[in-house]
Amino acid sequence: MSLSNILSMMIVDDSMIIRNRIARLVAGPALPHINIAGLAANGEMAIELARDSRPDLITMDLTMPLLDGEACIERIIDFLPETKILVVSALADKATALRAIKKGASGFLHKPFTDDELLESLLELID
Amino acid sequence: MRHELRPEDIEVFSEAITHFFNTCTGETANVRSAYLIEHGPAVLWNDFNGLIEISGAYTGSVCFSAPRALLSHVLLKMGESVFTDDRHADIVGEIANTLSGRARRHFGEGLSIAPPRLLNYGEPSLPNISGNLPYAIPLGWHGYEASLVVQLAPGP
Repeated sequence: MSLSNILSMMIVDDSMIIRNRIARLVAGPALPHINIAGLAANGEMAIELARDSRPDLITMDLTMPLLDGEACIERIIDFLPETKILVVSALADKATALRAIKKGASGFLHKPFTDDELLESLLELID
Repeated sequence: MRHELRPEDIEVFSEAITHFFNTCTGETANVRSAYLIEHGPAVLWNDFNGLIEISGAYTGSVCFSAPRALLSHVLLKMGESVFTDDRHADIVGEIANTLSGRARRHFGEGLSIAPPRLLNYGEPSLPNISGNLPYAIPLGWHGYEASLVVQLAPGP
């Protein structure tokens, strides 16, 4: 994965405010090489969308209705093992972050976050 | 009724409020001293009330209650340009979720957090989930008043 390719990204969060905020940053000039593949409000929607759009990158919330983020990560990594997943969650304990990484996530960003923190995390993800 | 939360437990939530406003708005909230709610439910009704139910090693709830104007201002600071009821309901739940999630630094992963839900004004009062008295943490920001009410006890 490199900055010279156009990458597709899916945003998964049950908050529309957070989905919009991440999407605005990705659509901005700081990340011209990432296109939004889709937005999902829960884990079930995310799996369906991931099968259809096969994104290169995903930002993933953990606390969501229907199917939580941890289960969603496991299932998506099963059919998209190359996809890089950045967990963006309020859950601030270390055990949760470690478990998400073990299940296939590539990074973890705690909420609340600044635009700079999100940008840095996304750049680390694709570096 | 017991009220077993220690000062350091409450401080975690006060710090979480400070951190949220500093990070998301770039401006500091005036977080005041917590007090025990001796009578009534674990919510201080406001225009919007976002509730997180707690389970696992702990039981209880965390409720962030705020006026519409405060939430509109937070939305603006976060880059939103749409100020519908849905967006206000979304952000009040997201704040409750973020504050609860940060508390897991202190309480650990045993503090299981449900997705946020909106409490409508006049909805029958919360069940006394934990058996403990709730604490209110009042805060001021940009002249608006809001509160976080925490009701928490070791799980069953």
